[in-house]
Amino acid sequence: MHVKGLAAFAAAVGVGLLSGTAVAQEVKQEKQSVLGNANVPPVTQEQLNAADKNAKDFLLTNGNYAQTRFYPGKQISRDNVKNLHVAWIFQTDVKESLETSPIVVDGVMYVTTSFSHVYALDAKTGQQLWHYAHKMGPITVYCCGPNNRGVQVLGDRVYLATLDSKLMALNAKTGEVVWTTNIADPELGYSETMAPTVVKDKVLIGTNGGEYGIRGFVRAYDAKTGKQLWNFNTIPDSSVGVWATKDATGRDMHRNIQAEKDMLAKIGDPYAKLGGGVWQNPSVDLATNRIYFVVGNPSPDLDGSNRPGDNLYTNSLVSLDLDTGKYVCHFQYIAHDVWDLDAVSPTVLVNVKDKDGKTIPGVIHAGKTGHIYVHDRKDCSLIRFSEAMVPQENMWVLPTKEGARMLPGANGGVEWSPIATDPGQELAYAINLHQPMTYHVESSAYPNGKLWLGGAFKVIPGEKQSGNITAVNYNTGKIKWQVKTPEPMIGGILATAGGLVFTGEGNGKFAAYNSSSGKELWSFRAGAGVNAPPSSYMVGGKQYVVVGAGGNTQLDYKRGNNIIAFTLD
Amino acid sequence: MTEDMTVRNQLMFGKLMIGATALLLMAAQASAETIEDKVAVCAGCHGADGKPVDKTIPTIWGQQAGYLYIQLRDFKRGDRKSEIMQPIATQFERDDMLAIAEYFSQKPWPDLGQPRAPKDVAAKAVAASASVGCPACHLDRFQGDGTVPRLAGMGRDYLAKTIADFRSRARGNNPGMSDLMLATSPDDLAALVDYLAGL
Ligand code: HEC
Ligand code: HEC
Repeated sequence: MHVKGLAAFAAAVGVGLLSGTAVAQEVKQEKQSVLGNANVPPVTQEQLNAADKNAKDFLLTNGNYAQTRFYPGKQISRDNVKNLHVAWIFQTDVKESLETSPIVVDGVMYVTTSFSHVYALDAKTGQQLWHYAHKMGPITVYCCGPNNRGVQVLGDRVYLATLDSKLMALNAKTGEVVWTTNIADPELGYSETMAPTVVKDKVLIGTNGGEYGIRGFVRAYDAKTGKQLWNFNTIPDSSVGVWATKDATGRDMHRNIQAEKDMLAKIGDPYAKLGGGVWQNPSVDLATNRIYFVVGNPSPDLDGSNRPGDNLYTNSLVSLDLDTGKYVCHFQYIAHDVWDLDAVSPTVLVNVKDKDGKTIPGVIHAGKTGHIYVHDRKDCSLIRFSEAMVPQENMWVLPTKEGARMLPGANGGVEWSPIATDPGQELAYAINLHQPMTYHVESSAYPNGKLWLGGAFKVIPGEKQSGNITAVNYNTGKIKWQVKTPEPMIGGILATAGGLVFTGEGNGKFAAYNSSSGKELWSFRAGAGVNAPPSSYMVGGKQYVVVGAGGNTQLDYKRGNNIIAFTLD
Repeated sequence: MTEDMTVRNQLMFGKLMIGATALLLMAAQASAETIEDKVAVCAGCHGADGKPVDKTIPTIWGQQAGYLYIQLRDFKRGDRKSEIMQPIATQFERDDMLAIAEYFSQKPWPDLGQPRAPKDVAAKAVAASASVGCPACHLDRFQGDGTVPRLAGMGRDYLAKTIADFRSRARGNNPGMSDLMLATSPDDLAALVDYLAGL
């Protein structure tokens, strides 16, 4: 082989030099944007503020600023949901993981796909009104698929954050680009997959990159100009904290505090490369002018040896002042995490019962640990956590070189999937994964913006995986009902005033359940994984439910490119 | 995997080639204006038709542009070691690297005519892949995207070599990939190599 290789090399060199220019260049077919004309009125801030009472539109990624995913319309009900049928199917140009939350403004729907495409569709017919095909820069660095979770509209602009870490405003009517701002350098591990939240002329955005040694942030940009208004580092200059030895539920995390303190004395505060991505939208408390969001894992994921301290504010609930971005309060679930069991699923603002049974403004979050955490909105403090929605075993065993088995696996519990709530029933609905894994640790220095896992988590072959839909009473922490699914669940869920919840599975099943009992009332097979959060809206006097069926990269569920809308006969 | 063998071959091959490469580079630089001039030298090893001239040399035709750029950058920085590629990459500025990356990414991926993995090997590979979740980054059918490389149809011997290099951290430009390779058994990796080459 060796000798043959050399001979071939010599021969090829000559050929290469001579024919270098002669080789015809093949140009890959690139999808082009198609401008159009969507007849859509501007969205006002007042409309957005009242989104929770609006059954006609679905204006925000998670329904409203409180992110309840509770749709107030009830034309589709427990009695008639069995008659639900496909109204239309729109096929996008991109057959990859679909995590989009469709939003609907006065009969016009906006959806996104992997690689940051945006489509405006007629919400009644599924007809394409325009298509923005993002021209991706060559350098994209992301963790869990080239996903995009959606857009938001304010005024006559659609706001989009792209995989190559740009923030953009598009013309809501035509799809034309109004402005573009670079958020951060993809070469250092930054990327965007979340939908922006737009409020009071501010575009709020977090960042991915917790697997790459970034320093995470949440920022506000001027909705009119794209100029940065404020920046909040999710990793403060002092990230050490209080040397917590127990997690939010009181379990010992087996930290070697002395070794960490020695390391701290040696290398100083590790804040600069500590990760702390923010994957999902903040909720906005309009009454107090505060935002609430959760911060993801520290970098590197599984190796804590080079990041002494609690690694604030990773794996935490954080609240900021909306106008200034100034810190208000935080609560850390897992200090010095070495399992990537971080905080991803978006926060929800609901009124909750405090420890004395008094009703107060609360904020809840569903963790990868499999608990739903209930907090006091005033100071972020923890009021209670729910029963575990998935099996937990061997927590918190430290990762080893050979791999240590612990449940839940590193995907959760509840992954990025938004939960839904039904305040009338005091229930939160979450979709869960059960994936037994081993946790492996390896040590290496910061790799210049490259993948920095500090080990690996491995699904244990042969151990059965599954998923579930769980309804939890957030005022008691008790599980009300649970439906088991054959595969781990990722995507999202919607609750409606019709007494229903809608959610999908990786095997293509999309179903409606009685939101009080979990009884399955209707289902449909989409042919590709339904791993996106559903939305609902009214047009022409009829209620529709819409969901993306594109499968999922992270769990390798069957890919597709369908946006499917359902309505009654 | 015969790690020792490949490494030895590579070293000898490398030393012999450096002389030839330097000459070629000088020739190329005399009129290094167009992109074609800049990439002419590459064909000597990576193939005039996109098929590498030696089995331990990777396919770069049709590879993801972001990945090609990052590798050239890493060779230049010394983050990725290669007696052959480091001196070559050192010649380029960032813009050259981006242009070269774009140029090769637009070429068609060559069919190396490697056999499909037998059923049992493929099954073992798919199970190992599912355990670590390779497609979460390398995407459906291992086509890659951005800075994550396409693996489907990559030369078998190169795959074996670079995976061994990740494991020993001789390839140190992506510790994350090294961690994943270390967490996967040599057995499973051998199956993955056959499987990926045959895709
Ligand atoms: C003398 C032979 C030779 C020449 C000439 C050469 N290469 Fe390489 N190239 C190699 C070898 C061998 C490797 C694999 C190195 C290793 O195993 O780490 C490689 C690796 C690469 C890689 C990394 C690919 C991957 O899949 O990781 C890129 C990119 C690359 N070369 C680009 C180029 C470009 C562009 C040129 C021309 C400017 C060029 N090479 C010229 C031999 C050569
Ligand atoms: C978390 C993301 C991720 C996962 C999971 C992953 N890879 Fe990679 N892989 C990468 C990235 C990024 C690179 C580019 C490395 C670099 O920057 O040089 C890469 C590079 C490689 C290469 C080198 C290709 C070349 O041309 O040199 C091989 C081979 C490879 N991966 C195989 C695998 C296999 C097999 C698995 C599953 C067992 C896997 N990877 C899982 C992200 C990943």
